Amino acid sequence: MPSSESPFKLMRTPRVVDIAITSSCNLQCLYCYHFNNPELDYKDLNAVEWQTFFKELGNLSIMSVCLAGGEPFVRKDLPEILDGIVENRMRYSILSNGMLINDKLAELVSLTGRCNGVQVSLDGSCPEINDICRGAGSFAGAVRGIKILQNYKIPVTVRVTISKYNLRDLDKTVQFLLDDLGIEFISTNSAGFLGSCKLNSENVQLDLLERQEAMKALLNLAKKYKTRIGAAAGPLADARIWREMENSRLNGAIVQGKGRLTGCGCAFSKIAVRSDGAIVPCNMLSHIILGWINKDSLQDIWQCSSELNRIRSRSKIALDEFVQCKGCKYVSYCTGNCPGLGYNLTGNIYSPSPDACLKDYLAAGGVIP
Amino acid sequence: MSIGKKPVKNPTIVLREEFDNWAILYNPDTSDAIGINPVGISIWKMIDGTRDVTDFEEEIKRNFRQVPASISSDIESFLNELEKKRYIKQHFGE
Repeated sequence: MPSSESPFKLMRTPRVVDIAITSSCNLQCLYCYHFNNPELDYKDLNAVEWQTFFKELGNLSIMSVCLAGGEPFVRKDLPEILDGIVENRMRYSILSNGMLINDKLAELVSLTGRCNGVQVSLDGSCPEINDICRGAGSFAGAVRGIKILQNYKIPVTVRVTISKYNLRDLDKTVQFLLDDLGIEFISTNSAGFLGSCKLNSENVQLDLLERQEAMKALLNLAKKYKTRIGAAAGPLADARIWREMENSRLNGAIVQGKGRLTGCGCAFSKIAVRSDGAIVPCNMLSHIILGWINKDSLQDIWQCSSELNRIRSRSKIALDEFVQCKGCKYVSYCTGNCPGLGYNLTGNIYSPSPDACLKDYLAAGGVIP
Repeated sequence: MSIGKKPVKNPTIVLREEFDNWAILYNPDTSDAIGINPVGISIWKMIDGTRDVTDFEEEIKRNFRQVPASISSDIESFLNELEKKRYIKQHFGE
């Protein structure tokens, strides 16, 4: 029997805050999780409002912020925003499409000395593949942005989102990024059923056979490139987790922290803020408003919010309480997967997400790679 | 030797306390960090450029139980480690 004690330790304040610094973007990707979300208010705060918030974060000893959006580099007042982060003794990372990065912006980032890295999204080895989902000119712009960041010695990683369009280009994409461009690390994901992807799901999301193909290809690539390819979600993560689950089951292993809704420990170490200043548990759970920046105390929310504490207590809910998990031979090795994706698929974050359900995958004819 | 020296904090260093009474000292310029125990936290909070090892030792003996006989040299080692990491500067004050 799994222990009911949480495998996660609550920090006094979040270590990291994910911030949607803008709701604007120069692209409209077919699978974007940010746009076409009826629960978001697409409104931006000014730099002074963010600076006031950064002062609070500094007083709470937050270590770093992750700036996303939208596209952070669309903000003309990015220098003031970065000043606010640096003045309050934090580091930062940026998630970007890379297109707007120029020498002036790269120099700005470099001179702060506090950037953990810029993650650029790129989905293919050529414009013909990449630009289908991400828009005309996005390949050239991203590659130009990556090269500029490299020139300024800013750590740069790439996120490859796998869809129907780039599935058969994975080998070339990885080779292009890791060998030709010399990127140190790339992460992979797949288009999830969120935002714009909900509208384009049939054209974008992988079906069972494609998912299997992606897993196989990515496992081979990860074998070749070792730690230079990672995944927190998507086919590579699924393949690794499912292999581990199957091995544990065959060995009769008792695995701590499994068999309950422990699929996400984020609520124990990080929190998120929307572009309109709403404090939310995660950018994928942006409908759960815990409070507002510069109005409510982040520390009070972090330590006392009943909603946030309820999310943390997910880890005490046993999977075998759910009808869909009854009789599953993997139940003792499962975590119930991502609550954000689960919410978007089922409308409920207090149940397992069907997206990475091994039982369903096998029942549909899938094979563990 | 730290005796007589009055350490001053590097103002960039962040003290991040946790619920278990331990903490980390973190340098956002380098990402370098060290974990410190409750005695370390107490010393860090006392560092203000006016107090030296003797002052820290007295305060620790007042506030903690079962203080080891080696406390003075333990504090010195801790301060020397912080200095090596550039978390503090030690100088002979007025």
